[in-house]
Amino acid sequence: MAAFSVARCLFKYSSQLSNVDKKSHILHKCARRMLCSASSGGSSDGRKPQFSDEEVQNILTNITGLDLQKIFRPIKQELKPPTYKLMTDQQLEEATQRAAEVAKKQLKMPPVLPERKPINDVLAEDKVLEGVETSKYVFTDITYNIPHRERFIVVREPDGKLRKASWVERDRILQIYFPKEGRRLTPPPVFKEENMKVVFLQDRHEDILDLCLVQFEPDSSEYIKVHQLTYEDIDKQGKYDLLRSTRHFAGMVWHLVNVKRIDGLLIDMIQRDLIQDAASLVHLYHMLYPQCPSAIEAKEQQASGIELLKIFAKKESQKTGYIELALEAYQETTLESSA
Amino acid sequence: MVHLSPLLLKQYHGGHVVIRLALGGCTNRPFYRVVAAHSKRARDTGHIEQLGSYDPMPNAHNEKLVSFNYDRIKYWIGCGAHPTKPVSKLLGLSGFFPLHPMTVTNAERMRKSPTQTGEASPEEGDEGERQEV
Repeated sequence: MAAFSVARCLFKYSSQLSNVDKKSHILHKCARRMLCSASSGGSSDGRKPQFSDEEVQNILTNITGLDLQKIFRPIKQELKPPTYKLMTDQQLEEATQRAAEVAKKQLKMPPVLPERKPINDVLAEDKVLEGVETSKYVFTDITYNIPHRERFIVVREPDGKLRKASWVERDRILQIYFPKEGRRLTPPPVFKEENMKVVFLQDRHEDILDLCLVQFEPDSSEYIKVHQLTYEDIDKQGKYDLLRSTRHFAGMVWHLVNVKRIDGLLIDMIQRDLIQDAASLVHLYHMLYPQCPSAIEAKEQQASGIELLKIFAKKESQKTGYIELALEAYQETTLESSA
Repeated sequence: MVHLSPLLLKQYHGGHVVIRLALGGCTNRPFYRVVAAHSKRARDTGHIEQLGSYDPMPNAHNEKLVSFNYDRIKYWIGCGAHPTKPVSKLLGLSGFFPLHPMTVTNAERMRKSPTQTGEASPEEGDEGERQEV
């Protein structure tokens, strides 16, 4: 009976995941184009490891986890009568595997990009046209096969200046002529700071991050600001489990590692007995900051697992006492369970 | 029901392809589509291809939105289409064509006349005050 219900859930909700995959595919194309001029090498080149490096991505996918029950939980959607299928155990296993693959696609991380630089290009200055018009003209190129980043959107000001449109104007105009599903012309008032606080009190961090992903471009200042506010709030309140097994977990981990505040997350992982994840988190930290004392000592001793965590707790963290307490508690529980 | 075959099969004597503005929208709310059409067709119906749009009413951000499909406009001009005056002016403002001479002429005319009327009206206002006093 339980097997039946799981299969029903999985089949019902896996169909709507195709949209998400397309969006993240486009975003990744975007990210690749943005980063093609930037460095493509990993830590082997001696440059700082980026979010999109293979090693970093592997570590982050492992930490994110794959909780099928959470991914395929009931979401608000159109009411459809459920379909029931009669399967053998083997068929059920295959169906679970297929659902796991679909879930992995759904967990594709949105790219983390640096903030986009403002556009200040002036194409022409025609003093002749000053004072003729009272409003701006916005000219868009609606040729079909150009990527949106390379599209010409040009503004003729009332004082005769012909300039390229700013990022805000570009987003609005592209939404008018090439509308994306779920995106609104003016950003919804949820993204104001006071309203975000209310959302955080209701523990709906994941929903607001999904909304932000749909509404803003990944390198816009609003997107980065919303994400940083959300991550700070989660870190303050210790609600890391809200984002575990979602696509936003990796971004949160990356942000915390960049700001050097992974202590809370480490304690949370140890308390939930996720020692492997904690070890890989510390490994990621050492990859990004190879000069810090704990990284050097870990390299000397070739430590891994709990040893690595203990070295990190001693050398680098601010909450040394808490981490060591949590480690001791974990070791006691493992001793008790083995004995 | 619209019978499409008379619209599609109409044969003309002479005429050429033009790129012009076809009017749409509602009362007191015009909206133009930039369209490649036969010059002898009605203004709004039976175009060959839509190449863009022009909204003459400024929006909440004080912008008049114009769109052009430059790729197809290049194709039709290559086929020998004639753009009309308003289309040429818009293309000039957008930077695709050089500025239309009438745009420059009208701008200079506007610059001359308000200065003349501006000098005239303060003088009349002063005389009016003196007369009242």
